[in-house]
Parts: sequence; C-alpha cells; structure tokens
Amino acid sequence: MLRITLGKIIKGAKVSPKYVYITTRALSGPAKPPENVEVFIDDKPVHVPPGTTVLQAAALVGVEIPRFCYHERLAVAGNCRMCLVEVEKSPKPVAACAMPVMKGWRIKTDSELTRKAREGVMEFLLVNHPLDCPICDQGGECDLQDQSMAFGSDRSRFTDIDFSGKRAVEDKDIGPLVKTIMTRCIHCTRCIRFASEVAGVDDLGTTGRGNDMQWGALTSKPYSFTARPWEIRKIDSIDVLDAVGSNIIVSTRTGEVMRIVPRVNEEINEEWLADKSRFAYDGLKRQRLVTPMIRDNNGELKPVDWEAAILTVAKVIKCAGPSIGVIAGGMADAEVLVAAKDLLNRLGSEALCTEHTFPLDGSGTDLRSSYLLNNKIVNAEEADLVLLIGTNPRLEAPLLNTRLRKGWVHNDLDPPKLAFREQWEALAGKEYKPRPVVASIGPEVDLRYPYENLGSNPDLIKQIITGSHTFSRKFKAAKRPLIIIGSEIFERPDGAAIFAAVQTLATKSSCTDENWKVLNVLHKVASQVSLYYRLIMGGLDTPGVDKIREGNLKVLLLIGADECSINKSDLPKDCFIIYQGKLFIFNAEFGKVPFSIFHKTIKHSFLGHHGDYGASIADAILPGAAYTEKQATYVNTEGRAQETLVAVSPPGRAREDWKIIRAISEVVGAKLPYDNLNEIRDRLDQVAPHLTKYGYAEDANYFKQAEQLAQSIQGNIDNCTPLDVKIKVLEDYFMTDAISRASPTMAKCVQAVLKQKQSKY
Amino acid sequence: MAQYFGLDKIAQFFKTVKQYGGLKASLYKLYRMDSLRPGTLVGTDKYGNKYYENPSMFYGRNRWIEYAPQYGLEYDGSQVPAEWFGWLHYKTDLTPDKDPSRPKYKWMADHTENLSGTSGQFMPYSTTRPKIEPWIPPKRC
Repeated sequence: MLRITLGKIIKGAKVSPKYVYITTRALSGPAKPPENVEVFIDDKPVHVPPGTTVLQAAALVGVEIPRFCYHERLAVAGNCRMCLVEVEKSPKPVAACAMPVMKGWRIKTDSELTRKAREGVMEFLLVNHPLDCPICDQGGECDLQDQSMAFGSDRSRFTDIDFSGKRAVEDKDIGPLVKTIMTRCIHCTRCIRFASEVAGVDDLGTTGRGNDMQWGALTSKPYSFTARPWEIRKIDSIDVLDAVGSNIIVSTRTGEVMRIVPRVNEEINEEWLADKSRFAYDGLKRQRLVTPMIRDNNGELKPVDWEAAILTVAKVIKCAGPSIGVIAGGMADAEVLVAAKDLLNRLGSEALCTEHTFPLDGSGTDLRSSYLLNNKIVNAEEADLVLLIGTNPRLEAPLLNTRLRKGWVHNDLDPPKLAFREQWEALAGKEYKPRPVVASIGPEVDLRYPYENLGSNPDLIKQIITGSHTFSRKFKAAKRPLIIIGSEIFERPDGAAIFAAVQTLATKSSCTDENWKVLNVLHKVASQVSLYYRLIMGGLDTPGVDKIREGNLKVLLLIGADECSINKSDLPKDCFIIYQGKLFIFNAEFGKVPFSIFHKTIKHSFLGHHGDYGASIADAILPGAAYTEKQATYVNTEGRAQETLVAVSPPGRAREDWKIIRAISEVVGAKLPYDNLNEIRDRLDQVAPHLTKYGYAEDANYFKQAEQLAQSIQGNIDNCTPLDVKIKVLEDYFMTDAISRASPTMAKCVQAVLKQKQSKY
Repeated sequence: MAQYFGLDKIAQFFKTVKQYGGLKASLYKLYRMDSLRPGTLVGTDKYGNKYYENPSMFYGRNRWIEYAPQYGLEYDGSQVPAEWFGWLHYKTDLTPDKDPSRPKYKWMADHTENLSGTSGQFMPYSTTRPKIEPWIPPKRC
C-alpha cells in the first residue's frame, strides 16, 4: 500500500523502515536514489519519482483529477473509479489514484474517453443516490454535487419503471456525534480507512456488494439541519479544549456558533480534530455568565451592572492591598494572564497561581525546555522509540496520539511483531538490532495501538537509567527516542524528583541529532504554557494553589478556575472558619470579606455541583468571553503561540477578560498602561517576545543545564505510589472543562460510551 | 348693573373658592386640574372619583371628573370606569345610579386602568428558545 504521499517524499520524509528493509534486501546493497521518470499530462511534461501515481503527477502540473475515494492522508483504495483517465496505448482507462506512472506515459485527463468514463461513473453513482439535495445536510459542500455538475451527464436515463426504489439499507446508530444517512453512501470507504488508519478504531466496515452493500453516508449529528454552508461566516481560530492548540474554523450564523471544523495545519493537527474540540461548541451556549453578579446580604448572587460590579470589586481590592491572590484556570488566555500579573505586582502581591502545579525545584519554570513538548508535535511520528510517562495521550491530546499512531503505522512500532522478530533473530544468532517501540510507564490504558506497558512504578525510571531494566537496552540503542511526560506527574508530591529522574534519563539517550529533543512535557490545558511565561517574569510565583492555601489572602481572583483546586477543606482549619464566616457575610465592611471573582464560569447540571464550584464560592462574578468570542493568544504544549479570532460577540454583558482587569486596575488606582489589544500585545512582547510570533514555535534549549540543576533536588521518588493518570477511559474524556461539561452533546457521548460498555456485543 | 360690569364673576370666584374649601385648596385644585369651575356633584364612583356638572357652561365643558385624591397628579382618562364613561362623554344623561337598564352580572370584571409604563404593564414575551442559556446561581438555603 502506498502510504507515503508524494509530498512527504519530496520533503525528504523518512521512508518506512519496512520498505527500506525490503528494498535493501532486494538490492543487497545500498539503495540508489531512484531516477525520475518523465510523463506527459495533457502533453505537459513532468518529471516525477517512480512510484508516483498518475493523480499525484497530474497534481504537480496543476491538473486536478476528480476523485471520491482518494485522500492523500489515507491509504489508496481505488474503488470509486471517478479518477479514471485515458493513457495512450492503454486499452482501458486507468484509475489515476492507484496507478503508478511509467516512463513516457501520455496521460489524457480531458479526452473524450476520460470524460465518458467519468460520466458513466457519475451515472452509476446517482442511480442509487437520492436527488434531494435541498434537504440534505451536505448540500452546498458536497463533492458529489460539485462533481456531478462538472463531470456528470446533463440528462438522466434513470427511469424506475418497476418502482423498485433506490438502494437503502438499515439505519445504524453510531453514537451521538455522527449521523448516518443510509441512502446517500457512494462507498468511497474514506470513513472506514480513516477509522482504521488514523483513529485506530476498526469499528466501521463494509459488507456485501452492489445493492446489498451495507453502509451509509456520514454527517455531523449535532449540526444536522441547522445551517447551510453559504449562510455561515467562517472564522479561523484556535481550539483551547486541550493543550495541542488545534487550528479550527468556527462557523457562525446569526451570532451563534453553528459548528467547528478543523483547519489544515501540517505542524499541529494536519486536517484532523479531536471529538471534544469539534463537538463541544454547544457548551458555549449553555450555563454562561451573562451579567456581573454580586453576593448580597442574604448570600444570594444578584445581577448588577458593570459599574456597580467594578466599583465594588475595586473597593475590596483596595482594602485588601497586597493580600490578593489569583488562580488561573485552564482556558485563560495570555492577555488576561499578563494583565492579572501586572495588576498583582502593582498591588504588591505575587500570588498568581495555576490550578495545576509545577515543581519549582531545580530549574523550575526558568528554562522553557522543562515544560514544553520540545520536539514538536509533527516530529512525534518520526520517533523510533516513544516512552510515555504518566500520560494518556489518546485522551489528553488526541492529535498527538494520532501522530504517534501514524508513527506506529508507518515506522512499524509494533511490540508483538518486534518481539517475534527479536526472538527469531536471537535464534538465528544474529546481532541485536534495535527496533522501534512505544512503551509506557503508568496505568494500562487503551491507546488504539499496541504498546509495551512497563508498569506503573516510578522506580522504573531509575531502573532504566541504571540499566537494570530490559527496556534500557532499547532506549540506549534508539536514535530518535522520545520521552513524553504527562503534566499530572508534577501534581504528585514527588513530582520534582520524578521529573529530575526523567531529565537524567533524557540525557542518557544515544541521540546524536542536535535538533532532536528527547524530553517532552505534555500539558492538558491550553493556558498552562503561557502561564509559565508569566511565572518567569514574576520570578517568585508558585504554580499550583499551595500558596493560596498558605497565604492569608483577603481577596482571591479566580480566572476561569473551576476545577475545584481550591477547596474549603484544603484550607487550614483556622483559615477555614474565617474564610467561611467572611465569605457568606457580605456587608458594608467590604475590606474584611474574602472576595473571589469568577470569570466565564459555566455551571453544568450533569455532574452535580462539580462545575459550579467556583461560582458558588464566589462573591462577585465578572463575566468574561469564551475562546470563540475574543481575539486572544494561546500557547500550546509545544510553545507555539497562536491567536483566536472573534467569531461571535460575548453573550449579554460579558466582556473580554483582560479589559475587565484593566478596568478594575484603573478604579483601584493602579492603572495598567494598555488600553487596546495592540498595546497589551506590546506588553506581551516585552514579557516574552515569542508570545506574539503567531504560528511559530520557538525552540527550547538548555537541557543539560536543566538536568544539572535538577541534580540539586532534594527528596526521593515515592515508589509506593504508582504513576497514575486521571483520564483513563473514554467516558472520562468528554467532560473535562467548563465548556465541555456544559455541552449536551458531550453528555450524550458519555452516556453512549456507558451504554456501549453494557452492550453484550 | 353688576352683571354688566362683570362684577358677578368676582362673586362667582369667591363662591367657587368657598365651595372648594378655601384659598389654599383652590390653589391646589388649580395646580392639579388647571381650572377652577363651580359645579354640582353628580356622583362618586367606587374608586373615589367625583363627577361634576355645571349646566351653565357650554357643552363639552359642563361635565367633568375630579380624580380621587390618591391619584395625585398621576391621573389619566383610563381611570374613569366604564359605567361613568357614558355620562362623561354625553352618551347618556343618566348617571349610573339613575339608570335602571344597565346590565349587571356577576361575571363582569372590575375596571382596570391602563398600566402602561408601570410595573404592571403587559410585556410580550418570546416563545423562541434563547440562544444563550445563562447560568442561574444556586439558591442558598
């Protein structure tokens, strides 16, 4: 199967070792660079490497051959026959997508024969396809519609004289996300190939032939019958529901997000998108904060206008002075973080905290290499050894996992096969040769590709370093090893020690490539990386809410922090009483009231009061904008700054987050020196210049230095507590943040997974 | 003679002032109703509005209402109940208490004034679902 596309070959991508192995065996010598062959597309000469298909060669001279089943990121199926072209001296037309070019071929993509072949294929497809485009969801963005206009016949020969009807098969329920339309399938098998190759879920398939073929066309279930492609506005944006920062297109109509579809970015998400990112958009419309609220004397949150809210909040902040803290949640953008940090510093406080902790021992957050996915997402597929430590990439960063899976598919990172091959080689008395492999330390999770689970004891890292574990032989032999460490490790009390051990392990690899970064940190939330830049700037900050718990704070500002990280029971006993007592009494003595401000909280009703925690403890609520409603900077887990754009306006009285902080600062008397987006971007630029280099991921360095600093870390790894991840199974994946918890579609997904588990099939 | 010189108007004025209960009350009446008219009280409705008549004045000016004191300056025509409306607008010369042919049923609703501009006004409401469902803070018990 031709899995490697032409584009990749041209770019010099690594060819699968399997093929190299076969080729080298066949030639029994070093592989010679293949000579290009010359072919003629519509009499235009083009030089292409051998093995290039007719379709790819035509694309090089700008001739687009119509196709249904061919997709450049999927295996070639060659079953739609739409790409039939005439080749001179060939008795039959050939399928351009599957046929490699031969030297001197003259391919006619617009000849009489080719056009007739296309017309015939279209006619056969439409014989069993309903002609009711006006009621079809795909109408307006349908390949079949477009191609029947361009290549189909202008009249119909279809006369159903027996009234036998067109082909229709039994409807299948494949979950709350994908709708099946059982009459419209043209059997391109793209869905099947996508599921088995990219997603690794071999759930789809075809049975039967001709009219008995059992499958349906797939459309989006939540989007069905809501909007038409020509009436929606498309805004390029960035997804923030995980730390990958997938590029998306937000489609809006009448001030409402109608759907989210992926946008091609070869360096991040290719053209795929995770389910949560694609379908959780209905959470943006539910449980929104639309007006500022202040807790009244009875302890009830009452809607107020902005003036009252800001004056009240500013008064409280003024009285508190430096006893103010901020907890930033997972979806806070870089602008609000820099504004909050600047405000805190002006008030004399340093307590800007994240919901997720990061150890400050060793180099801490001073060196970027300690908290980034240094090797970049795109390179994950080139690895010959992947060691996952305390992470479940399939559910924490699905698009990174598709990269790893791609590597597994293309580079043969298959442990059972390898084990067999190694045994065979050992029997044959051959020298040990390293083979690519994916291994993990942590709980056994389903990654949709085979991998080797080494166990979940943190001591395994030390064992691999010292060489007492069998895996260390493979690790040391690997030329392009990749260590991906999950951010949940840092939340352990011994997180710093584990990370130090991993840093040591990373330096022990035999990787000689300067540009290959072994150590990689995979974050779970979108704001985490940009937050660390804030931390560098401040110097004294504590990631994690420990400081909030210790500190005698009078005012606490929560910026979208709704993960229950600050819990009443977390606070010390004596503080607890004061906290509670003051929290619920909101009177004229504002200065004594511990005050929390809650941004853009979305309460959900599905998992009890879990999500509304922040709002229920808050004394004032200042409604902010979600990621589709503001122009904001987000930094993904590889340190790539990207920008969301305004697709819809914030609901009700909600405003952009940083503007709220800026407004408060003026009333408090510590006016922040930026009035518009450009000025705050200038401030971002001062703090960290790469934060405004959109789309570009700055390389991180100083691995050696970070490792040396890590040697000074006191404390041992707690070997009794196994490494764990929070999101283990699929039902945990769908509702992880304020937006997805408010999304009815995501709730349906959880139900569907649970139902599927109970099913006996 | 006095009539010729219009001196009876002065007498009329004093009579009117006296009828209204003094200079201060008359000034208030003038302030509230923009006119001082002597008249005979024809009847009072259940809300306390008083209806006056002065046949010596010309048609259109000879029947009027003095709104009940609780309305203050916030009076308007919709506070006239239906049973007095006819008399006030010359549809009939019979006041409600003198007209035996008026229908009276148990189910007849009480008169309501026009509540526009007050908290009791009618507000049309949307039957479509809101695009954004706001978060409603939990009630504290």
